[in-house]
Amino acid sequence: MARAAAASLIVAAALLTLAGPAAARDDSPQTPWRTLSPEQQRILGPIAPEWERMPGYQQQRMLGAARQYPNLQPIQKQRFEERIRSWAAMTPEQRSAAREAFQGMRRLPPEKQHELRERWLQRHSREPQKSR
Amino acid sequence: MKENEFMDRLRPWLARAESDVGEMQAVRLKAARLRALDAVREPVRLLGVVTVNAGTAQTLRYSVFQQGLLWVPLVALLATLAFQSVRESDPGEIDAQLLTQELPPDAYLDQDFRTWLAQPLHR
Repeated sequence: MARAAAASLIVAAALLTLAGPAAARDDSPQTPWRTLSPEQQRILGPIAPEWERMPGYQQQRMLGAARQYPNLQPIQKQRFEERIRSWAAMTPEQRSAAREAFQGMRRLPPEKQHELRERWLQRHSREPQKSR
Repeated sequence: MKENEFMDRLRPWLARAESDVGEMQAVRLKAARLRALDAVREPVRLLGVVTVNAGTAQTLRYSVFQQGLLWVPLVALLATLAFQSVRESDPGEIDAQLLTQELPPDAYLDQDFRTWLAQPLHR
């Protein structure tokens, strides 16, 4: 009996874990651009034209990213501004895949992360020369 | 008074007989007693899940450790929900990290990069 009760609770927990984020993702209401603070509008300015077309969950993620902006270093702020538009233009599946790979990368030892980063940057710097 | 006198006389005999009862006999006697009680008692519903005989319910005794184990799934459930609410409280945090580190987000969609990521690296 105790085993059955424990198993049922574990199953319930697993279901809640799986269902929770999905429900939160789908149910988030849209946030009109005019309701954002001037600071949020400034940070998210590059994606203002696309804002009203974004689903609520994506807007929430963008607002979450914007909340981190004041704590960023200048170089990070520059990257944020340069990349946010292409990031918003990706499909949800692409963003999800990128997050997954990014988190996989972060789980690697620092030296391996460095090696991967260098490898990609080297190849990326060679590519324009190849195409010339 | 007569009854009390009889009990006083009987008590030493019962006490002596009790000390002579072996472990196996004690278990049998207990089982017989529980069977007899089961015959006259109402069944008991445990945790609203299962119905058992009253004697069976009485014999269900868990150690402190076992009782503690019963709480583990509930604690795990609450911990999962708490962790999830913290993680979901700022869903854009990971996006901000992804957008601001050295590699651009495109890199993580690059098929070669994803292959390197999945493979052990060699110097």
